Amino acid sequence: MLKKIIAVLLSLVMLLPLMALAEGEVTLKVLWFNDANESEVFEETIKGYLEENPNVKVDMQVIAFDAYEKQLKLMLAGGNAPDLVRLPTALMPVFSEHLALLEDYADVKAIEEAFAPAMLAYAKNTEGKLVAYPTEATANGMLINKTAFDKAGVDLTEISKTWDWQEWAELIKKVVEANDNIKYGLAVDFTPHRLSTILYQFNGRMLSEDLSKVNFSNEGTINALKWFKQMHDDALVPPSVWMGSENPAELFQAGLVACHIGGSWNINTYAKIEDFEWTAVQMPKGTMRSSVPGGKFIAGFKDSANQAEAQKLMAYFSDAEHNAQYCLGTYNLSSRTDVSIEYPSATEAFNVFSEELKVTPEYTAQEWNTSLVGKISGIVKEQVVQALLGTMTVEEVCAEIDKQAADLQ
Amino acid sequence: MRRVKRPRGNFHQTLAPSLFLLPNIAIFVLFIIIPAFQGLYMAFTDWSILGKPKFVGLKNYQRLLNDRVFGITVKNTLVYCFFTVVFITVLALLLALMLYKNKLKGEKAFRSAFYIPSLMSMITVGIAWRFILGDEMGIINYMLRSLGGEGVRFLTDLNLAMFSVIFVSIWAQAGYYMVIMISGLQAIPEELYEASKIDGATGLQAFFDITLPLLKPTILVVMVLATIVSFKAYELINVMTGGGPGFVTKMIVQQIYQVAFTEDRMGYAAAMSTFLMAIIGVFTLVQFKISGRSEDYE
Repeated sequence: MLKKIIAVLLSLVMLLPLMALAEGEVTLKVLWFNDANESEVFEETIKGYLEENPNVKVDMQVIAFDAYEKQLKLMLAGGNAPDLVRLPTALMPVFSEHLALLEDYADVKAIEEAFAPAMLAYAKNTEGKLVAYPTEATANGMLINKTAFDKAGVDLTEISKTWDWQEWAELIKKVVEANDNIKYGLAVDFTPHRLSTILYQFNGRMLSEDLSKVNFSNEGTINALKWFKQMHDDALVPPSVWMGSENPAELFQAGLVACHIGGSWNINTYAKIEDFEWTAVQMPKGTMRSSVPGGKFIAGFKDSANQAEAQKLMAYFSDAEHNAQYCLGTYNLSSRTDVSIEYPSATEAFNVFSEELKVTPEYTAQEWNTSLVGKISGIVKEQVVQALLGTMTVEEVCAEIDKQAADLQ
Repeated sequence: MRRVKRPRGNFHQTLAPSLFLLPNIAIFVLFIIIPAFQGLYMAFTDWSILGKPKFVGLKNYQRLLNDRVFGITVKNTLVYCFFTVVFITVLALLLALMLYKNKLKGEKAFRSAFYIPSLMSMITVGIAWRFILGDEMGIINYMLRSLGGEGVRFLTDLNLAMFSVIFVSIWAQAGYYMVIMISGLQAIPEELYEASKIDGATGLQAFFDITLPLLKPTILVVMVLATIVSFKAYELINVMTGGGPGFVTKMIVQQIYQVAFTEDRMGYAAAMSTFLMAIIGVFTLVQFKISGRSEDYE
């Protein structure tokens, strides 16, 4: 008897998925990465949609960003594309040809009216068709330990409006000297994306003007890299970031560095700092001012199993109300032009990042909207370190990057 | 001449063992053999993972010969492998010699303590040691600075970085090989030692004339396994140094990963993988040759 009961129960368990299918249940496979708390806020934001559509379930897979591109490529190559995916600017050109067209599911004209044109430019495939919804807009900028600057008697309110990198270097030496805990002036994330902020400020480029090939061997880029090396040689920048693997955001939060060139998404994490006061300031200029515009997007793949349902969820998540809810919860700038958010704190920092974007040249976005820049990221990182170590000159490094990149094409 | 019929045996002696092996063989063929042959084919193609492969003949191998960065990673891997394997073998043997007799007090606790690191994932080990050896956030440097000293750049100094990853690799793996050595030592008949004692042999003589020769097959297994693991080292080094500073601790596997997934050159990465497989094969053969005819002692 017992055997029969167990057999019946097991049969029911086996049939459960079929019963779910019979009721039209859809489980959307979502692939996500976090800068801070984005996955939590995403789930909170779509709660209403899931309540209205009880047949829709979400299977969130949150993956570390370092492994994200590889994982996504493997899933696609294996015919196991996720239904909904979060993508950063750098990965948009890598996957754009595989993403489903929004025009098949939504009113593209309305989308184009609602979002910032700069963000929409990233969200298109090579045919110029929209394939993703922009979620948050990001920019690179400088976050500073205000307490340390105050202790050194350096008020950046006016100075930062006009300062250049040489003036920054003079001031930062005072700040380091006046604070026992501060060991270095500046931490720059170990990514070509953040490094390119300085390249652009020295009027440098990574690609040729027609964006067809890598061209690091230009005056601006060489000068920028020489300055980056100089800051390392003068111990203004900790070697443990570009030559090791320490996290610059952690160094900043630990109060070891006075400034951090990072992304606007760092505001979310830094909002929790209690040990010192921090703020964002306008970045020093090289020969000009520049940031790097970017953002995050959500999209679906052409080959995914539940694309129609995924598109409905994306449209819900991207409307003005829910985009505002998400950007507020994640301390991010909205990609929509019709959304105005009042952040509980750090409003000033957001304004600084927005101002940086306004003076950023258009070609910075064009360069980052090519797949070539993403492909050379590993090469750029290890070659720039050769210059920092002094095993190669900056000119040799630039030539080597150009040579290795040419082999990729 | 009368043909002798070979005994066929019953079901339990012939078919049953094969049936028991079948699932394992199926998994092995499906997930190891077939992908390995696919990899060999891929090495002759130009292939982006999201595109279609295009046959290019030996182009990837020709490129490999002139690839400076790949050459550096091969050299780094050989250096890392040599020191890691030698020190792991020696340390595992010393630990096993200390702990195999079950005579020391707390011996089991020591065995567990040495073995536990090998149970941890290499990523966990890497993160833990990064917090110990880190330049700015590391515990050792924090203590050194608290005592008024200068910090040591364990992970960012050109000379110390490789030493640091070798040290941590040995720490993480020696316990595992110690267990293999212990089982090898325990299999040596006690009578041989008693006989040598009666003949007046010293402890050192017994070690070199009895222990070492009879442990040779075990040492060989340890060296072969450690060599294969060292050639495939990735997670630990990636977490600790990211292959840096520059290329100083960059190994073949990390370069394969970068070429395959960042640069999107799957065909070229497959050629690198084939080269790695060939090196491991050659080293394993050499180790078997050097250690001689181990069956002499069996």
